[in-house]
Amino acid sequence: MDEWKHNPIIKPHKKRSWYLAWKYKLMNQRALRKLCQTGAVLFLLVTVIVNIKLILDTRRAAYEEEEESAQDYDDEMLNVEAPRHPVSNKKVLDVEVYSSRSKVYVAVDGTTVLEDEAREQGRGIHVIVLNQATGHVMAKRVFDTYSPHEDEAMVLFLNMVARGRILIFTIKDEGSFHLKDTAKNVLKSLGSQVAPFLSWRDMWTFVGKKGGEVYGEKHAKSPALSTWGDPVLLKTEVHLTSVEDAECHWPDTELNRRRKRFCSKVEGYGSVCSCKDPTPIEFNPDPLKDNKVFDVPVAVIAGNRPNYLYRMLRSLLSAQGVNPQMITIFIDGYYEEPMDVVELFGLSGIQHTPISIKNARVSQHYKASLTATFNLFPDAKFAVVLEEDLDISVDFFSFLSQSIHLLEEDESLYCISAWNDQGYEHTAEDPSLLYRVETMPGLGWVLRKSLYKDELEPKWPTPEKLWDWDMWMRMPEQRKGRECIIPDISRSYHFGIVGLNMNGYFHEAYFKKHKFNTVPNVQLKNVESLRKDAYEAEIHRLLGEAEVLDHSKNPCEDSFVPDTEGKVYVMFIKMEQEADFTTWTQLAKCLHIWDLDVRGNHKGLWRLFRKKNHFLVVGVPASPYSSKKPPSVMPVYMEPPAKEEGAVAVPAVAAAEQT
Amino acid sequence: MQKVNKNVVLAVLSLTSLVFLLFQLYYYKFYLSQKNGAVFSKARGSQSGQDSTRWHVVRKFLGLISIHNIPVCLIDPLILGLIDKDIEQIRSSSDGPSPECKYFCAPRDFTTFALLDKAWKHEVGLFRTAEKMGFQWLKVLNKDPRLDGMDDLSGTEIPLHYIFKLASHAIHLVVFYERSGNFLWHGPLRLKQHMDRKFVPFRKLHFGRYPGAYEKPELLLVSLDDLKVQIPKNPSSFLEEMSHSRFLECRYREARAFFQVYPDDASVDAVEFRKKAKSLLHLAALILNNLGVKFWLSSGTCLGWYRQCNVIPYSKDVDLGIFIRDYKADIIPAFQKAGLPLKHKFGKVEDSLELSFQGDDDVKLDIFFFYEEDDYIWNGGTQAKSGKKFKYLFPKFTLCWTEFVELKVHVPCETLQYVEANYGPDWKVPVKTWDWKNSPSNVQYNGVWPVDEWDEVIQIY
Repeated sequence: MDEWKHNPIIKPHKKRSWYLAWKYKLMNQRALRKLCQTGAVLFLLVTVIVNIKLILDTRRAAYEEEEESAQDYDDEMLNVEAPRHPVSNKKVLDVEVYSSRSKVYVAVDGTTVLEDEAREQGRGIHVIVLNQATGHVMAKRVFDTYSPHEDEAMVLFLNMVARGRILIFTIKDEGSFHLKDTAKNVLKSLGSQVAPFLSWRDMWTFVGKKGGEVYGEKHAKSPALSTWGDPVLLKTEVHLTSVEDAECHWPDTELNRRRKRFCSKVEGYGSVCSCKDPTPIEFNPDPLKDNKVFDVPVAVIAGNRPNYLYRMLRSLLSAQGVNPQMITIFIDGYYEEPMDVVELFGLSGIQHTPISIKNARVSQHYKASLTATFNLFPDAKFAVVLEEDLDISVDFFSFLSQSIHLLEEDESLYCISAWNDQGYEHTAEDPSLLYRVETMPGLGWVLRKSLYKDELEPKWPTPEKLWDWDMWMRMPEQRKGRECIIPDISRSYHFGIVGLNMNGYFHEAYFKKHKFNTVPNVQLKNVESLRKDAYEAEIHRLLGEAEVLDHSKNPCEDSFVPDTEGKVYVMFIKMEQEADFTTWTQLAKCLHIWDLDVRGNHKGLWRLFRKKNHFLVVGVPASPYSSKKPPSVMPVYMEPPAKEEGAVAVPAVAAAEQT
Repeated sequence: MQKVNKNVVLAVLSLTSLVFLLFQLYYYKFYLSQKNGAVFSKARGSQSGQDSTRWHVVRKFLGLISIHNIPVCLIDPLILGLIDKDIEQIRSSSDGPSPECKYFCAPRDFTTFALLDKAWKHEVGLFRTAEKMGFQWLKVLNKDPRLDGMDDLSGTEIPLHYIFKLASHAIHLVVFYERSGNFLWHGPLRLKQHMDRKFVPFRKLHFGRYPGAYEKPELLLVSLDDLKVQIPKNPSSFLEEMSHSRFLECRYREARAFFQVYPDDASVDAVEFRKKAKSLLHLAALILNNLGVKFWLSSGTCLGWYRQCNVIPYSKDVDLGIFIRDYKADIIPAFQKAGLPLKHKFGKVEDSLELSFQGDDDVKLDIFFFYEEDDYIWNGGTQAKSGKKFKYLFPKFTLCWTEFVELKVHVPCETLQYVEANYGPDWKVPVKTWDWKNSPSNVQYNGVWPVDEWDEVIQIY
């Protein structure tokens, strides 16, 4: 067929004769020529048809393929990615800051990031930290510098913030009364002109970069003691930097990627985000030999106190024998920052839509968390329940590993708790000693699945009942005479001072001086004697060897107990019937231990330490151990001071829940 | 001259079309072979190159997971089918080199492995290593069904499927989760919008069209084609289980909506009844499973599952269905031995059989036997005092697994039709007074038992 291509026009003349001859020949063979032509046309048609068919085929195949994978395998709920925060490529942020007596607000690029006009709340200096590259809010704090010591907390916080972050300050109501020079100097070093001269009821706003430029400051002086300064509104522009400038350059590992994600979102966690020498986020504590609680799920109940959660998880992950895979953090509400903390440590977290209010909300959150725990770990027979405001002892899991078989075998047990309500610095001594008590302390405890599934879950208080879950669990209908095992020295420490039923004064009075075990690998000594009957024998043995104290002395006085060590003493107090705790409450009060309700008793017996001696208190005649009282001894009776009655009743209600 | 020009044009056209034709043929072949290599290689006769590719991919994958210490189990139905044929030999054989590549070279598009979720730490490192080894990977996440039943808990999503692709072969790694009721569950494979729909021909996957429920299999470490892998100890029973493993999740969201309208009864009586019904159901399941009798939740119990994911507190009994072909004479003695006396027996194996056992404190266990016809399924009822027979008709159904009161049980897959047949279109409205002879919408009068048969077909204890 090549010859067909020769174009007669551009052919050299030499070949023309050959071509003519050929043409002539062809002309003569008309039939052949016709045949060739028809053949060519046919061939063309066929190829066209085949081509079209092929095109259609491949099209259809491709289409089917798409259909195939689309059918059945499509997510029904088309997960359209929610548009993230408007992270525009804008280089400039418009910032508006307002300070006045009754209202403060901060708007970044038109979005309100802080607004507080509640009465009787939010007094002091509000601080907002923005990421200098993205403009995201990384931290929001308010320091009530009208009150003492809050300025120290503010200095601490400001020192923790990384260089280069954008800081926004605004005062609501009053922020200068207890703003000491140290704090003022820190503000001055940030570039504030006004801070050193801030005075009573001044209004003030300030925007600046830590260790860098000042974007704006406004101030309104209070004209007189009785009036406030005029409201001030500061409008300014902040220039964003590049993302690289806002990040540290840690080696690229999985851990550091988590760290980077965390540190680009939040501020106020100290050295974990330090560029030079960041504190570790993986702890690798020693494993426990023969760890019986390695497969026990751990549920951490949390709210929106991310700094607490951070501290709690650090201690939990440092405890020997911890198994991070079994830990789930249940967050009550859709809070971002607690979730960021959870992800920093590579743990799994679950958020819970808040149901109901106040105590009932906590109670519903507990229920959901416990149910979810047993759903997620269907093999588990137990669950460890922790709260976000607890430090966990280094031997927490070792303590549980040594005692958990009791909970499995002894039907008369309700729980194992890491917390001794009466275990204060001056009343707890022996880390290897355990007790049986009729109350449920909570604050780090183990729950049996069968107890939860068969008894508690089906009748858990419904959302409309404003009950505390722990008070409900302590009710006789639930507890049914069962007891909990507790250590003499607590394996958890309650550090939370803000909470539903918690405030600084209350914490100082009842929790601060609590003893907390820091000794690793404590070998518990009397584990088998904690079974129901063995424990009775143990108590009788103890009472048998105990020396009866001089009941004529004042039991509140230190001299009531002789200056010895390691001895066992017993005293008898008046307790007319099982529920008569009049004398005990007075004794507890003067011993400075938990006196808001009755805790830590076992059949009218309390066990604690005084001056390093084991100190037993028996309620006579209600306690079955009353028979140990020598006939000559007159049980101590202490009368409640009449006028304090009312005053005691109020905190008792507030103290109901220890969160 | 003009004629010649025509010829030339013709020739040029033919030539171009030929070129096009060749090009398209090439493209077509390329496209097909990329899409379903297995089909092509089969057509070309088992070509050793293709076969060893599969073996190599599997070997690489096993290497990858052993670096990261992830215990996986081979569950590929095709390979397990081959293994099953010479299971004895495989079990007994030692580690000697195998003469030929018999299993992992078999033509197929995928090799499927299972992974038990709790047996590994979720590690990002796995994917980095996989990428370094040349694998492309895809991860399919979804909501955690174990938290679905809970009031508005939102967990992080959990991985359900992984696909690792290398050359023309892909590894499908199915993640199994332990669920309450002591069974293993794997999720459905659903692609999110942004995902690559053509990553692999998803339709050909053996797992993922539906979620599935499995008993925990015993595993066996064997050496196949010089590769060490874990397989289910009994491949044939695993394959049998796989063929009807489809799992239905309870409709938790609808159940919550139901309780919004009709608040749940949390009285002491209701709590007690639910507890008893649950333990009775657990006991019945234990007995029937031991006998190897397949059963499902029927009537009120099925309605309770479907409508509110729980036992209906005022239903007063537990109802189960069994196909009459699965009937065994041992059923009655087995229940009696377990401490559940027979309360009544209506009908006979050939017609309208119904058993009723007495559980603790007035909770009754009713077992209805179902008879299959060409286009419907029915069970029978008998009125003791009159000897009247009733017939309850159901559209045909198949059985699916579900989780109910911490138990893995069967329910009809076509639950809505089943419930509607039984309770009519208003099944969503709770009805406390129920007359089994008139209330059901699928009841038919079915004559009267002949009086001389009464002794046999109406037994009341």
